[in-house]
Amino acid sequence: MQINRRQILQGATALAGAATLGQPAFAQANPLQVGFIYVGPVGDFGWSTMHDVGRKRLEEVMGAAVKTTAVEAVAANDMERVATQLARQGHRLIFTTSFSFFQPTMRVAPTLPNVFFESATGTQTAANVSLYNARFYEGRYVQGVIAARKSKSKTIGYIASFPVPEVVHAINTVMRGAWSVDPSMKIRVVWVNAWFNPGREADAARALIDQGCDVICAHTDSPAPLQLANERGVFGFGQASDMTRFAPKAHLTSSVNNWGDYYVERAKAVIDGSWKPGDVWGGLNSGMFRLAPFTNMTPEEASEAERVRDALSTGRLHPFDGPLTRADGTVAVPAGGRATDDQIRAMNYFYRGIDVALPS
Amino acid sequence: MRIVLTRRDDAPAWMALVSPLIAVALTLLSGAVMFALLGLDPLKALGVYFISPISDGWALQELAVKATPLILISVGLSLCYLSNNWNIGAEGQFVMGAIFGGWVAIATHGAANGPWVFPAMMLAGMLGGAALAMIPAILKTRLSVNEILTSLMLVYVAELLLDWLVRGPWRDPKGFNFPQSVMFDKEAQVMRLMADGRINLGTPIAIIVVVIAAIMMARTLKGFEIRLVGAAPRAARFAGFDEKRLTWTVFAISGALAGLAGIIEVSGTMGQLQPSVSPGYGFTAIIVAFLGRLNPIGCLIAGVVLAITFIGGENAQISLRLPLDVTRVFQGMLLFYVLACDAVLNYRIALVRTGGAAA
Amino acid sequence: MTMFEAILLTIITASTPLLIGAIGQLVCERSGVLNLGMEGMMIMGAACGFAAAILSGNSYVGVLAAILAGMAMSLIFAVLTLGLAANQVASGLALSIFGLGLSGVIGAPFVGAKRDQMAKLDLPVLTDIPLIGKALFGQDPFVYASFALVIGVWWFLARTKSGLVLRACGENHASAHALGYPVLKIRLLAILFGGGCAGLAGAYLSLVYTPFWSPGMTAGRGWIALAIVVFASWLPWRVLAGAYLFGGITILQLHAQGAGVKIPSQFMAALPYLVTILVLVIIMSRRGGQQAAPASLGTPFVPDR
Repeated sequence: MQINRRQILQGATALAGAATLGQPAFAQANPLQVGFIYVGPVGDFGWSTMHDVGRKRLEEVMGAAVKTTAVEAVAANDMERVATQLARQGHRLIFTTSFSFFQPTMRVAPTLPNVFFESATGTQTAANVSLYNARFYEGRYVQGVIAARKSKSKTIGYIASFPVPEVVHAINTVMRGAWSVDPSMKIRVVWVNAWFNPGREADAARALIDQGCDVICAHTDSPAPLQLANERGVFGFGQASDMTRFAPKAHLTSSVNNWGDYYVERAKAVIDGSWKPGDVWGGLNSGMFRLAPFTNMTPEEASEAERVRDALSTGRLHPFDGPLTRADGTVAVPAGGRATDDQIRAMNYFYRGIDVALPS
Repeated sequence: MRIVLTRRDDAPAWMALVSPLIAVALTLLSGAVMFALLGLDPLKALGVYFISPISDGWALQELAVKATPLILISVGLSLCYLSNNWNIGAEGQFVMGAIFGGWVAIATHGAANGPWVFPAMMLAGMLGGAALAMIPAILKTRLSVNEILTSLMLVYVAELLLDWLVRGPWRDPKGFNFPQSVMFDKEAQVMRLMADGRINLGTPIAIIVVVIAAIMMARTLKGFEIRLVGAAPRAARFAGFDEKRLTWTVFAISGALAGLAGIIEVSGTMGQLQPSVSPGYGFTAIIVAFLGRLNPIGCLIAGVVLAITFIGGENAQISLRLPLDVTRVFQGMLLFYVLACDAVLNYRIALVRTGGAAA
Repeated sequence: MTMFEAILLTIITASTPLLIGAIGQLVCERSGVLNLGMEGMMIMGAACGFAAAILSGNSYVGVLAAILAGMAMSLIFAVLTLGLAANQVASGLALSIFGLGLSGVIGAPFVGAKRDQMAKLDLPVLTDIPLIGKALFGQDPFVYASFALVIGVWWFLARTKSGLVLRACGENHASAHALGYPVLKIRLLAILFGGGCAGLAGAYLSLVYTPFWSPGMTAGRGWIALAIVVFASWLPWRVLAGAYLFGGITILQLHAQGAGVKIPSQFMAALPYLVTILVLVIIMSRRGGQQAAPASLGTPFVPDR
């Protein structure tokens, strides 16, 4: 056992030494092994699929300089073992792509000091643990603006997975965007208690449409809600990947996750020895996600959406500028202020005007 | 052609050993064929699958961590199934154990607490699992409500209750409102046995449970009662055994053991409550119980075997870059072989031309 | 479309796969065989049905492939439990693991592929019935098939001699055998019927409910279908009631959430399970509590010669 670990350490040091020399021939003989741990199956068509697309992009760009391994559908219980096993097989950079892996990552990282961990969302960094995530809420703001333009019933339907800050601030931001066009906009929210359950997601979409919602936002993985919007003649947005083809008549835009560039950047940092723990929260300008081409919109609507998108991207528009008022009437951020990243990340209240219950 | 089985009343002792060996041989053979078809070196692939999970001290510790909940739950389930009580809700009882035990850890968090915390958590966990298991038991004995339905449906209820707790009242106040409880204090975590691995006190506890259950089944009146009620309920009634009380007893025991597994898993491998605390241990343990022939020692062996196939599947994803689904197909095949080879033990098998011997 | 019609329509969609799966499993269990591999057979139906529909361009080819896939899966189960008298509970669970894996392998090339929803089949005249007409008779073929299956299975079990023999096998296989009935052959057919229905239910998921393929898309519906058979006390009409009760509560709680009812969503999501238990408790307490399970359920039969 002892010997084993020492061997790994030796191997890792040798690799690090080789990497700093930067000899391409040697790098080819000893590619950087990069591990990916997914919370869902590669084919979930949402979160895990897009991380795997990022993994493939990494292989494509770096060629023989990297070798990647993916482990699918890992439970939080098993995460530490999978990470250690990856390290024992020589992986030096490991992406743990779910919040449920964050605590296990923090536990296992000190035992594997020569491995660099990248956790997709989390609450703190460590010597060899970085955090990364995208500011998907910027896309939600654009969705809100578009929804307010397209909706005749003035009611947005939101299919939500779980009441976590990521979903709560997304709902708030959709409405902020919608209210910027039409302050009379309303929202109905259905929680399906799952990230992935196509049937339930479709049922929720049916219920929302039956209740008069005519633009459907989904915060779950599958294309089911968008497909249903298409069938029922209302509008919707795609999630995680470009879902235009699932709903030629209903699709307005999709928020497309793009992790590949970040993965390339971090792998290069490990190879040239410049890897440092960081906390990256990339917006539209970072390329971590983009909006798919606007469809089913008039040229005026599309150009307005583009204008808003560009304003968000350049920072001229910030969705969390004050005043922000909680549903109970208390002021969260006064006029002239702006919510900090930590406040956004921890947001557990709806804005005034959003009449939805939250567990407390 | 058709298969005709003849019951063996005189199964020789060597058959009991040969049958699993045949299963293993068949699995290795068809595994080799499958891996060769996938373009892999069959020997290397089988090595990754079956040898790497037991190859060194660290791997063995991980194996123990994975097998412990399966063994604990399946021993309890065996008692249920032997006495014809179809408890298939161990997953929910596992979760309930995590909730009750986790409550102790959260309530004592940050307070001056002593070495009594973990034993209290175990007790609470057993209580929680048993309490949930008593619902199907009472509904069955009082109103003849079928326990398959009630125990299964309560799994989802328990999972949703945990989900609500960690997103609401039990959420870590300093955790940026993410769905997780506080990290348990040191006193509330299961003692680790080794400095360099994750094996913890749960494994010896599971082994003690196996030994106690084995003695109970083989040597005590209760063990006889459980077996008799299952095999010959009428005879059991004549013998004066109270079937209803037995139903309560076995449900309570199996619920308590599943709950114990739940709190050990949560405080041993996770260190906190999360919205999901089980990768399906409660359902997998049902297979373990039957593979172990509803015998405590058998459950121990079967639990280890199943844990090997889970970890082997993980390692195959890592070392062979096989997709998860292929590893599942292989695991399913292996289980088919093991189940089929049991027939060799119990029955004489003959191939008979159709229309020949009357079935 | 009125709100009532709309809700009814959604409930029908949610209940149909449960109903189709459960009615097949009911026949299987009435013959004395407990096959817990529903989830595996159903998801194989979903994967193979979608793959075949894409490859052939015809939904009905997909449906046929799904039924055959479900039957093929159940045949593995039959070989183990009938041919080799292996334990039914463990074999069924192993079948579930196997099916989840194999469906992923078969479906992998089809992740992200898109197909239009299967066409609806309006029944003329009947769709003009007020309130329920549009919802009940303007449906896809699966819905009609599900009702036909319930009627057919009821008629078969209650009114035909073969049905009686099948039930006899489930109640007391030794006596049925002594009377000269081929117990194993009857059980084989019952298992295949259950597998075919599970496959059909899977096809409904990937061709109508949410017309695409994704691994694990059954999301536990096989287990619910199994529970509904128990809820129904093994009676066809009650399977219909059970599937619609469960589907109905599921949809109504989503509607209640959309309408802004301020109850934590986890409690709403738990409602279908709790109500199912509660209703069964009420039924059983009124009936004075007799269990209706086939007496030989789950026990292997090996003929003595």
